[in-house]
Amino acid sequence: MHHRLSFVIETISKKNILHGKKLKNNFHNADSDYLKKTEAFLVKYEHILKKQHKDLDYAVTCYLQMLADVHYESVQFVKTGKYSNTCFADVNKKVYSNPQVMEYYMHALLLRQFLLPQNYAILNFFDKTLRIKQAEVNNYLEVGGGHGLFISNAVEVFGNQVAYDLLDISKNALELAGSMLENKNVNFIHADIFEFNTPKKYDFITLGEVLEHVENPLDLLIKIKSMLTKNGTLFLTTITNAPAIDHIYLFRNADEIRNLIKEAAYTIEDELCTWSEDVSPEKAEKFKVSMMYAGVLVIK
Amino acid sequence: MIMKRDDICKELTQIFIDVLDNENIVLNYITTANDIEEWDSLAHIHLVVAIEKHFKIRFSTKEIQTWENVGNLIESISSKI
Repeated sequence: MHHRLSFVIETISKKNILHGKKLKNNFHNADSDYLKKTEAFLVKYEHILKKQHKDLDYAVTCYLQMLADVHYESVQFVKTGKYSNTCFADVNKKVYSNPQVMEYYMHALLLRQFLLPQNYAILNFFDKTLRIKQAEVNNYLEVGGGHGLFISNAVEVFGNQVAYDLLDISKNALELAGSMLENKNVNFIHADIFEFNTPKKYDFITLGEVLEHVENPLDLLIKIKSMLTKNGTLFLTTITNAPAIDHIYLFRNADEIRNLIKEAAYTIEDELCTWSEDVSPEKAEKFKVSMMYAGVLVIK
Repeated sequence: MIMKRDDICKELTQIFIDVLDNENIVLNYITTANDIEEWDSLAHIHLVVAIEKHFKIRFSTKEIQTWENVGNLIESISSKI
């Protein structure tokens, strides 16, 4: 195995045996392309961390903190069947507007994108979608761009002829995304999507893992629809049964997501569903395993 | 009533058998997650909830992270009942 990836997995394993066991299983079965891309990401990421006087050890510490948070939220979820958050304003204060939390959280999410194969599968599906839509795109918006990995991929595929807007409610997220992006064509917007108004229409909008962070995801899908061009595409990802410090809206299964998409008057062109654990359907049901959903949506 | 550590271990074994759905599990003080295939991060959450419910106790996130084997888990339970 490549040495940076080995370092990350071994460091996590020493502090969290169970998660280390999971990662070792994941990468034991990984194909060479996945391993190669993960190591390439870690090389780039290490370079970004170095500029901030940080290292991979720091990133692993952030990741372990996120695991501890998720563990706490998961225990509450198993006991109550609900997410602990109900109010966006509270989450905004506790997480998005809290630099200390956002600092570790964004680094943890970025690392997770490659450490968990289901996140990597979603990223590949995104890349495939970008290449299919490439000829139709002149402007691109990403809402809740977080760590900047997805928009980096879009910039790589679409190139400099496309105008990019990246909107996020968190300043820290925008800063990390800025360090991921070397492209100067990206316009960074610090705003709440519900308060963001522009006469501009977009050919391609990415809404990655945002729906579960709002109180009313239907309103958000309708708002996004108003910002798409007539033939525009929305790339949407969200997740079921996934307690976290900032998740509010609980989707219990993929059909609930599909029904919401239908209610917001979109058509699903393509989709990908991937379980977060490599388990049998019976165990997935018993343990309420989370499922990542990605959909390529167009206006009906 | 103070429970002996061996009795806690016996009751824990039954919880593990029920949650992990494996009749062949036999726990001892040095058992770790590496010794039981089904004991993964997902199952661990359900084990914690089942153990808390059974012994009527609550674990802190910090103490859960310090467990390296079943012996550590038994110590945590023992200190609370």
